[in-house]
Amino acid sequence: MKRTLRFASAGGLLAVAVGLAVQPQVSEAREGKQILMETCQGCHLPEGNDALSRISHQRKTPEGWLMTIGRMQTMHQLQISDEDRRTLVKYLADTQGLAPSETDGVRYALERRLNTVENIEEPTQQMCARCHSGARIALQRRPAQEWERLVHFHLGQWPSLEYQALSRDRDWFELAKKDMVPLLAQKYPFDSKAWSDWQKSMPKSASLAGDWSFSGHLPGRGELNGVMKVTAEDGDRFKVSLDGQYADGKPFKGEGSAVLYSGYEWRGTVTVDGVSMRQVLAANNGQLSGRMFDKAHDERGLDFTAAQQGSARLLAVQPGYVKAGSESELTLVGSGLSGTPSFGKGVEVVEVLDNTPQRIRVKVKAAADAASGLQEVSVGTLGGQQLAVYREIAEVKVVPAFSVARVGDNGGSTPKVQGRFDAEAWGQGADGKAYRIGVFPAKWRVEPFDERAREDEDVRFAGVMQADTGVFTPGDAGPNPARKMSTNNAGNLKVIAAVDDAGTARTGEGQMIVTIQRWNNPPIP
Amino acid sequence: MKHLKPINNKALKLDQAAEENRIEEVVAMNSVAGCASTTDPGWEIDAFGGVSSLCQPMESDLYGCSDPCWWPAQVPDMMSTFPDWNKDAQSSGDGWRNLGTVFPDDK
Repeated sequence: MKRTLRFASAGGLLAVAVGLAVQPQVSEAREGKQILMETCQGCHLPEGNDALSRISHQRKTPEGWLMTIGRMQTMHQLQISDEDRRTLVKYLADTQGLAPSETDGVRYALERRLNTVENIEEPTQQMCARCHSGARIALQRRPAQEWERLVHFHLGQWPSLEYQALSRDRDWFELAKKDMVPLLAQKYPFDSKAWSDWQKSMPKSASLAGDWSFSGHLPGRGELNGVMKVTAEDGDRFKVSLDGQYADGKPFKGEGSAVLYSGYEWRGTVTVDGVSMRQVLAANNGQLSGRMFDKAHDERGLDFTAAQQGSARLLAVQPGYVKAGSESELTLVGSGLSGTPSFGKGVEVVEVLDNTPQRIRVKVKAAADAASGLQEVSVGTLGGQQLAVYREIAEVKVVPAFSVARVGDNGGSTPKVQGRFDAEAWGQGADGKAYRIGVFPAKWRVEPFDERAREDEDVRFAGVMQADTGVFTPGDAGPNPARKMSTNNAGNLKVIAAVDDAGTARTGEGQMIVTIQRWNNPPIP
Repeated sequence: MKHLKPINNKALKLDQAAEENRIEEVVAMNSVAGCASTTDPGWEIDAFGGVSSLCQPMESDLYGCSDPCWWPAQVPDMMSTFPDWNKDAQSSGDGWRNLGTVFPDDK
């Protein structure tokens, strides 16, 4: 009864708000400020100087603003076209965005690196990040009053949060208002020197036009490199074309477009081999870095860095290791590369196979007595990359060490979320310290993580590991009548990689939780 | 736990963990970005960092949890935000395929 009454009383208010928010048909593209005044002002009160209540007191990333507008659509029945929404996100991210330094350490959320184990300080972890990522908070800036309104909104919208674990053992609401609000306002303040300085100094987007040499690594597929051509268009937009190849020579080519937000937040959509891939990169002084991933399967993605022609930079050495006493081919990727590279003591260049400003391919020989460990690589005056010289693999690490895969498909609305792994070899240096050699090919398998997983036959039901690639495809969504109590195809698995080190198998282990789907999956987790 | 006795296996496991002082053994998995670690149990992971103590198959009792906003960051809450989420799936066990994702993506 209470519930019915609550909906009834809210209904009247909502009807007024919706009436104001519904847009008349407009034929011409509207500008961001115009959308704010014509659409958002339907609910948000004008405060003078073009300011609107709530909106004008927050700063967010493009994804953050997109989620806010998405929430207005789902919670307040805002009617807005996709085009207007894109325009508004751009306008808000440009005028009320985050400075590059304000996203430091939490870009994994924007880049959809969803297996990142967060390290959120208390009390924020227990008070906020027990339901959603801590990054979602750290990527917003508000004054105290707006943080407090966010607390009220949470309790009003999801009242049972007070009964959940880590709430019912304390006075959550009081703690949120008295402790969290001042803490968040101090840690993530609306006014910041970083943002005001950035607004004054951000470079023009047209400066990103030109050729970019790129390097990447796709788990399950390996390293790649190539050239990205960027043509500037109006409104901080770009045409993008990728022309590259994997280490085995197979092409990595694509065409698409990108938009620059807040003067550095590069968001591209590029079709590669018929797959629409999203680029979430940060531009910084002639370099672009971040991640590029399959839009429909964001777990399938590559680390991506690029250096602009005109700047001189050594981006990567592929592969980044050589075995003592052997010869191998290495590719150096960067921009403005010239001359014969140097790999340090005990590693000599036997032949230069290819030499362009973006790519140098060489054959090297590591002496039998070359020291095990990391050596600095240089080309002319450029450095910053290392080459690992190794004799034997001391340890194999499965990356990511902890991960979550999800059941899906089977006629439902959510796709399967795969597990994708790399086998990372580590060596023991001459100094006795462990050092990372690099990613090696491996044979992959899964095993029950514990006795309970063995009893429940998790290996049989949770999915299939592809032995050669380290790609795990989870089972179907839905109850499974073949399992005890028809339970879901969830599982708790050990992920095991066996790397062949000159005839000796070295294994490493990780843990993968195969779990159920999520239907609420916004851009920032 | 003087006045409470576990009456099923899950409760027994929790009770034993408390007895053996293993309550702090909550693994790092529980803070994988965007996973719900609490709300007894979590959506993705149980209190022991596994999956055997979760409410599964979750389709058996999904609305008992989504209606009172139990995992609102993962499961659409039907009390406040998405009251019509299950309009085409009155029984979650039979109709779960008709449950849609809720973020309004660009078309």
